[in-house]
Amino acid sequence: MRLSYKHVLVGLLVLTITACHSHSKVAETKDTILAFGTLVEVTLLDVPKQDSQAILKRINDEITYMHYAFHAWKPGPIGRTNQLLAAAGEFTANPSVVPLLIKAQRLARESHDLFNPAIGKLITLWGFHDDFPPEGPPPDDAAIQALVKQHPSMSDLTIKGIRISNTNPAVKLDLGAIAKGYAVDFVIDTLKAEGIKNALINAGGDLKVLGQHGDRPWHIGIRDPRGDGVIASTDVQDGEAMFTSGDYENYYEYKGKRYHQIIDPRTGYPADKTRSITVIARDGALADAAATALFVAGPSQWLAIAKSMGIDQAMLIDAHGVIYMTPQMHKRIKLEKPVKDVRVVDLP
Amino acid sequence: MTRADWMVIVLALILLPVVYVYNWRPEARATLARITDAEHHVRTIRLDHDQVIHVHGKLGDSVLQVHNGMIRFIQSPCTTKFCIHSGWLKFDGDVMACLPNGVYVEVSGGKRKYDSINF
Repeated sequence: MRLSYKHVLVGLLVLTITACHSHSKVAETKDTILAFGTLVEVTLLDVPKQDSQAILKRINDEITYMHYAFHAWKPGPIGRTNQLLAAAGEFTANPSVVPLLIKAQRLARESHDLFNPAIGKLITLWGFHDDFPPEGPPPDDAAIQALVKQHPSMSDLTIKGIRISNTNPAVKLDLGAIAKGYAVDFVIDTLKAEGIKNALINAGGDLKVLGQHGDRPWHIGIRDPRGDGVIASTDVQDGEAMFTSGDYENYYEYKGKRYHQIIDPRTGYPADKTRSITVIARDGALADAAATALFVAGPSQWLAIAKSMGIDQAMLIDAHGVIYMTPQMHKRIKLEKPVKDVRVVDLP
Repeated sequence: MTRADWMVIVLALILLPVVYVYNWRPEARATLARITDAEHHVRTIRLDHDQVIHVHGKLGDSVLQVHNGMIRFIQSPCTTKFCIHSGWLKFDGDVMACLPNGVYVEVSGGKRKYDSINF
């Protein structure tokens, strides 16, 4: 075939299209809020400035309220609920926290209580109910065991409408392992109702997306739990939430040993078989609670708990740096660093 | 084929590599840092000029260092020092906060590889 100038022009056209493909420009509007003990960032795409300001203001107000309402140790609806739980009898809860409590109760049951928001007293004992992480030695073992033996659980609560009763005075609520998930679900639903097509909310590293980024999906990096930068990445699709729990987030060190905030309700001590767990699900509250439950479950039990909670996309990095992935997670994850040991493991 | 046709082809051949390099190059460093203090005052600085910046927070001054196109916390009145341990911010979208002191920094510009980071 003789090469004519038309062939050359068609070739150039193809090259031009591929050259420009990766660079679709979209206008981002962002707002950053200090809430839930972290930085919450809301990103809207291609929304006119006058509209985005009003929407971001509303989202800011909602997140600020949820931060107040769900706070584990400051005065507010959950603070008051904890005061009433400590006393015997039935009481009326603040309606703003009841839907979250009902959801937390179900997820705790499905996780076999490895996600257990009723162990607030243990978290307090470890010193994590403070604006500043604890210092010095860990709590006395006898005090830890005394709390563990009382088995505080969400199943100790009976919730009927807005009336709550409690049969176990050891119950103290700490909704830190579900509140962010619940909040990102609420924000994405609110944005959808406002007609927003493409958005991302990242609450201290845990996120949920709406739509996509321009002409491609949202592309998310997963932080390396022990090194600088990103260990893996994936495209997150419309309506998906991605939550990671790690031993590097809220911790202190004493005599060279790290003590982090993810407490195993069975032992009363920080779970130490996992470095990080990443969960993808459409329900942010589920992804949040499952990330904690699977972290606590560790490499020997995480698949059984994932199945029980209805999670099929998860990646666990154990204490030795071995990466385990469910088959569904493996299909979508791209490793960004060389990793010695990656294992794809089926759900039971 | 007229002379104009040839000129279009030659120009395209010259410009195409430039467009490829611009759009497909690896992640490039951020160029700006947006610093927010405890009273929500925002200041934007360029990262191409090495400097040390004091930012007023709830507990005292956070001290930031700009060096070689990156920025980090080097001093903080908080007890945890998470902000300092987090190291350098260098790629578009990187964010770091000193929550106890109410100071946060976000860098932007350059070309980012990820839309957000999960951790």
